[in-house]
Amino acid sequence: MDVAMKAGNILLESGAEIFRVEETINRIAKYYGVEDSDSFVLSSGIFITAEGKEKQIYARVKHIPLNAVHLERVAAVNQLSREIEEGKHTVEQARERLEAIEVMKGKKDLARMLASGLGAGCFCYVFGGDFFDAFTAFLAGFLLYCFVVWTEKNGKNMSKIVVNIMGGFLATMFAVLLYKCHLGTNLDYIIIGSIIPLLPGVSFTNAIRDLADGDYIAGTVRMIDALLVTFGIALGVGLMYTIYYKMTGGPML
Amino acid sequence: MILDFLLQFVAAGLGTVAFSILFFVPAKYYPICGVIGGSGWLICLTLNRYLGLGIEVSSFAATAFVIMCSRIAATKQKCPATLFLISGIFPLVPGTGIYWTVYYMIMGEMDKCSQYGRQTLTVAIAIVLGIIFVFEIPNSLIRKICRK
Repeated sequence: MDVAMKAGNILLESGAEIFRVEETINRIAKYYGVEDSDSFVLSSGIFITAEGKEKQIYARVKHIPLNAVHLERVAAVNQLSREIEEGKHTVEQARERLEAIEVMKGKKDLARMLASGLGAGCFCYVFGGDFFDAFTAFLAGFLLYCFVVWTEKNGKNMSKIVVNIMGGFLATMFAVLLYKCHLGTNLDYIIIGSIIPLLPGVSFTNAIRDLADGDYIAGTVRMIDALLVTFGIALGVGLMYTIYYKMTGGPML
Repeated sequence: MILDFLLQFVAAGLGTVAFSILFFVPAKYYPICGVIGGSGWLICLTLNRYLGLGIEVSSFAATAFVIMCSRIAATKQKCPATLFLISGIFPLVPGTGIYWTVYYMIMGEMDKCSQYGRQTLTVAIAIVLGIIFVFEIPNSLIRKICRK
């Protein structure tokens, strides 16, 4: 049962949908001979009770904080649960595999920064910027993710809302600064490109899928998460713009 | 125009791959993610700009397409569809709309602000509908399509 709990834990933490978490827990529990198990999954916690053959009762509650997305783990746990059902693992082996998955390394920080820059540049071009703008957006997106990586390491107790406001603010600031250095011609598209890496695509998509599956509580929580992040970014951009126009004496409120 | 199309496809595809790196999608799925994201964006662009169907309808169609592809790919590769669709859907998310909404709010042009705000909202709803519609298609049907 611990194995099932752990699998669920990793899945939920890494950004899987609620129904996948429940299904995986129940599948694993069933295969390892738990007669009657029931799981209740919210976006921030898992509750399991189970009854074994000798009428022992097992119950666990686990709190799981909202965390960074890690789809490779989702894929790995999914694969493992398939293999368990095919009978390839004993309980001990499965536990070992899960522990390995849990410490699975992410990409290197530099790779993530470059990826963020690449994403920003590409989307800047897609949404109507030219090549120069895309290059500037690449730089802005790269710098932005330097900040994101830094907060992940040093700002664990920083509110997510503050992080996003600052993210939007900094992305706009980098874009404006680079624009002032005569890199790029369309400030609008540069900013659009550079805030893209912050957008809460995962929360949004998962929220809708949870809602569609009837997991209203989890869906609502994730939707609020997505909305708050979006407002945070918007606020950050707005803040920077206001300061920028105050300083340059441009169009005023 | 063909060249423009190709460039748009490559840019959207590369962007999608970039996001799959950010979300730690396993490396062997990068090409699929890229193709799905790129073609989703091309569909949205074609319907909106060249057929004049409006941004909402185009977003809906493109989302439906992206998710259908993600589900087919997921069934073929035996892995969760989330892997493909989260990054594949990124080109369609109305980041531009959010930006213009804030921009005009700062500029004090409330007409345009509410216009873009409403557009952003309707596009978001179109994407929601697209996601829900395609996920309601039963798994058995997807498997049948895969077998062909």
